[in-house]
Amino acid sequence: MSAPDDLASLLARVALHDRAAFERVYRSTCAHLLGVAFRILNNRDRAEEVLQEAFVNVWHSAGGYNPSVATPMTWLINIVRNKAIDALRSGKAERAATVALDDEAMDLPADGAHQPQQLLQDSLVKVRIGECMSALNASQRQALALAYYRGMVHTDIAEALGAPLGTVKAWVRRGLDKLRACLEAAGVTA
Amino acid sequence: MNYLDPERLDRLAREYVLGTLTGRARRRFERVLQQAPAAWQAVHDWQRRFSVLAAGVPAMQPRDAVWRRLERRLFDPAARAPWWRGLWSPRTWTGALAGVLLCVFLLRLQPGLIGLEPASQALPQSYVGLLLDASGQPTLLASSLRHGRQLTVKVLQPVSVPPGRVARLWALPKNAPPFAVAVLPPLPAKGSVALALPDSSEKLFFDVPRLAVSIEPAAAVAPTAPAGDFLLSGHCVKLW
Repeated sequence: MSAPDDLASLLARVALHDRAAFERVYRSTCAHLLGVAFRILNNRDRAEEVLQEAFVNVWHSAGGYNPSVATPMTWLINIVRNKAIDALRSGKAERAATVALDDEAMDLPADGAHQPQQLLQDSLVKVRIGECMSALNASQRQALALAYYRGMVHTDIAEALGAPLGTVKAWVRRGLDKLRACLEAAGVTA
Repeated sequence: MNYLDPERLDRLAREYVLGTLTGRARRRFERVLQQAPAAWQAVHDWQRRFSVLAAGVPAMQPRDAVWRRLERRLFDPAARAPWWRGLWSPRTWTGALAGVLLCVFLLRLQPGLIGLEPASQALPQSYVGLLLDASGQPTLLASSLRHGRQLTVKVLQPVSVPPGRVARLWALPKNAPPFAVAVLPPLPAKGSVALALPDSSEKLFFDVPRLAVSIEPAAAVAPTAPAGDFLLSGHCVKLW
């Protein structure tokens, strides 16, 4: 059921406002998508709100989904990540306006297995390109993982890692260069 | 600054998708996205690459209430909270104030809205397009107020759109190639649908003597040219 081509045809039906197809898309993807939102927001209630917003969006804009440019999962993950990042940043702006700026950036869950770097490693292993990890040095890995899984911007990462801003930007940039080279070498198109 | 330099575009696209492009730079890039298919392509490429990074994120089952709320919100407008519940929130008052200001603004712009102008027997200033099928039968009537951003499409005879495809409205300007206006929502066999325009009618249709409709694969990005022949076409006229 979660085969990508099935999801693509379900999305085509959602575009025609087929409610049964919509529920099937939700059921087969919600757990993975909530996981993505939760990593960024680190709060179940807010992550579930983002998931709901994202699916409202899916219902209204499934007609805009183009199977020739993205797999259904890529499209869905992108909607959820954008909403989660928006929620993270608007929440931060609100809190910054009302209370002293907290160091939420450092407020990571204690559960070591889910630390961003571990998520990066697990993801690459899952798509059988675990060796990409060794192409990235430790700082590049950390910077990239904090940006992707925690929705952190350069200044957040600089603060979290105690490094100068310019250095962090370079880590992210080179990390991305290497990631792309590695994905291309491995022929991963996701 | 040249946004279309491929290397620069690629650097912006990846930081945009990653989320590290922020503030004004992000908004500027979003405007570039509206206009440059190459920028969209770069963004899509990075979305695909980054989706690999989501593979190892542990799944988390949402609570049942999420689906119930979603269903209620999308399919059961009657179940929304009673109107008086939100009456005392600051948001209501901000909204009311914004409403008053908007009314003042609109009335200065268009005093005719509440009859402050002598009522006219004439039709309002509008753009109207009559779309005919291949045999010359009137099929859709598209109309929009001159300064409006909504297009009403009246179905004069049913249009069949195959599953998984969409009907797209095109403007055929006098001295420029056709451009995609909007995807039409699913059309009823009879009656009207309304859709939002990407800009005001005046801006979109000022120099457009003809409209057309094509059947296209559903696509995230408006194509720059129709996929095939136009199913419907006809004149677009200014009603003033």
